[in-house]
Amino acid sequence: MFETATQGIITGILMGAIYALIALGLSIVFGIMNVTNFAHGDFVMLSMYLSFAVGSALAWDAVATPLITAPLMFLFGIITYYLLIDRTLRQMYVVQLAVTVGLQILMRSAALIIWQAQPRALQYSFIQGNIQIGDFQILTSRLFSAVVSLIFIAGMAYFLSKTWAGRAMRAASDDLGAASLMGVNYHKTYALTFAIGSSITALAGGLVMSFQQTDPVGGIRFGLLSWAVLALAGLGSLPGLIVAGIIVGVVESLTVSFFDPRSRLLGVYAIFILVLWLRPRGLFGRR
Amino acid sequence: MNVKNLFNPRNILILIGVGIALAIPLIFNASQYVMLLMTTVLLYAILASAWNIIGGMAGQLDLAAAAYLGLGAFTTGTLLIRWNITPWVGMFLGGLVATALAMLIGFPLFGFKVKELWYALSSSALVVVLQSLFMMWNEVGGPTEKYLPIGTSPWYSLRFNDYMPYYYLMLIILVVVLLVNRWIRYSKLGYSLLALGEDEDAVEVLGVNSQSSKLKALAIYAFICGVVGGIFASIYGYVHPAFFDTSMSMEIAILGIVGGMGFIYGPALAAIVMVSFREVLRASLGSQLAGLYLAVYAIILIVVALYQPRGIAPLVERGIKKAQTYFVELTRGRRADIKSH
Repeated sequence: MFETATQGIITGILMGAIYALIALGLSIVFGIMNVTNFAHGDFVMLSMYLSFAVGSALAWDAVATPLITAPLMFLFGIITYYLLIDRTLRQMYVVQLAVTVGLQILMRSAALIIWQAQPRALQYSFIQGNIQIGDFQILTSRLFSAVVSLIFIAGMAYFLSKTWAGRAMRAASDDLGAASLMGVNYHKTYALTFAIGSSITALAGGLVMSFQQTDPVGGIRFGLLSWAVLALAGLGSLPGLIVAGIIVGVVESLTVSFFDPRSRLLGVYAIFILVLWLRPRGLFGRR
Repeated sequence: MNVKNLFNPRNILILIGVGIALAIPLIFNASQYVMLLMTTVLLYAILASAWNIIGGMAGQLDLAAAAYLGLGAFTTGTLLIRWNITPWVGMFLGGLVATALAMLIGFPLFGFKVKELWYALSSSALVVVLQSLFMMWNEVGGPTEKYLPIGTSPWYSLRFNDYMPYYYLMLIILVVVLLVNRWIRYSKLGYSLLALGEDEDAVEVLGVNSQSSKLKALAIYAFICGVVGGIFASIYGYVHPAFFDTSMSMEIAILGIVGGMGFIYGPALAAIVMVSFREVLRASLGSQLAGLYLAVYAIILIVVALYQPRGIAPLVERGIKKAQTYFVELTRGRRADIKSH
């Protein structure tokens, strides 16, 4: 009982760090541009497929594939921004929903056309195996992914607060008009923001591919998971994002080990709904 | 109202539409495939029109159509399988079950003023939650299909060998749902809902209870989805947790948006145009590459949403206006007639 719980919490914390990374991409896009990207989970799905393609073509390890997939997803983000998102900024809110859901259907069917319906996985990663601490096991691939995720989130916090581009992004989120007067070109800033958000999913996708497989409808799970993390964390706090990611990961992992693997998302949604009712701006949100 | 006004382009269009809808089974009866396709189109038209009440009028971006549809299907199916209760009763009970859950969810959500994105996400999550629950609930759902018995009389068990009865049943429901839409639109509830969409706080000050208005809209929408779910189960002859389909729910909302929010016939029109188009694409492209038809369909959805953000109904309105002008001039009407429309 105690052992199962501890093991579940350990697994949950490690997964939670990756969920925080996935939610970071969404948080940047939603927090800075106020764009609701319903296709975010499918960006992760596409990234995982790209990792699969690169990893199997070059016989690379999954965790190395973001070296190629991140620039690709960056490009994909820029194209998506100028082709679709930029045109929805001045429209009614529902147009954004319609366009990003359309994008979601498009990405899903594109994955189905290119990689067919069966799940795809890469060869075992070099970081396979596990570390034994007492009675508990830690999968090395997950530990590695969690550490990389945390380092990346810290790096992103530095980028947003210390570099000119990062400051421009935050300024545009605080007051678009004033930022424009200070010489921030919001089209460029938004394109950069969206592309960064999109390339973060490439990193996350590569990490997840080191221990999971991907299929064309896998985006639903990552999409709703990252919205749940974001709702819990609130906007504007990166440490909050990590805590929220870990809470979601632990709840998911405990539901699986104590209740039923098929119910893995139920606990997560219970939290999600409760947060919406009781604390709409999240645990750490500034607005 | 004089006789001349009865023959305005709008009424003629409605008459032609109803005529075509009634005649379609007589033309295509040879092909069951086309009948199923047309029945599916009507199903989407009903759901999108029902969505118009909560989405278009109440302004709540609901993404849970399939949750209520699935509840209706499982209620109807389980009642028939276990207790041999006819779907004619089951579908209404299904509607009530769907409404009950909607109230349970909607009461706190509207009370806490959960709106826009967050309402959309929580309703979308509801579909996934129900799917997981019914996947685990083996007595009613479970991973294998539960088949509805045909029984002695197809009329009792609502299980026909061909799709024609379903088609007419769906057509009747569509007409009813459109009339309900029209009735709500010009009732006190409709005006309250539209005003809430403009400025919720101001309207509340004037004495409109936003929570109860939205709850009424949600209840009507959930009830329609639940009833249609009962027929959905009868058409397919089984119930399965895959009925709780997030993509379908999103598609319903998109049809409502693309149709033109707030236009009574908009969502139904969008469903008829887009879903027929999707099925034609599926028939012509589906055999070559799985997923290709959906990709083309998605691109068209995106293009319509980007370049016709108010929906396709305003385009039709413009067409009708032009026809009206032409018509009035043709029958030597005065200019004042045009303005009165």
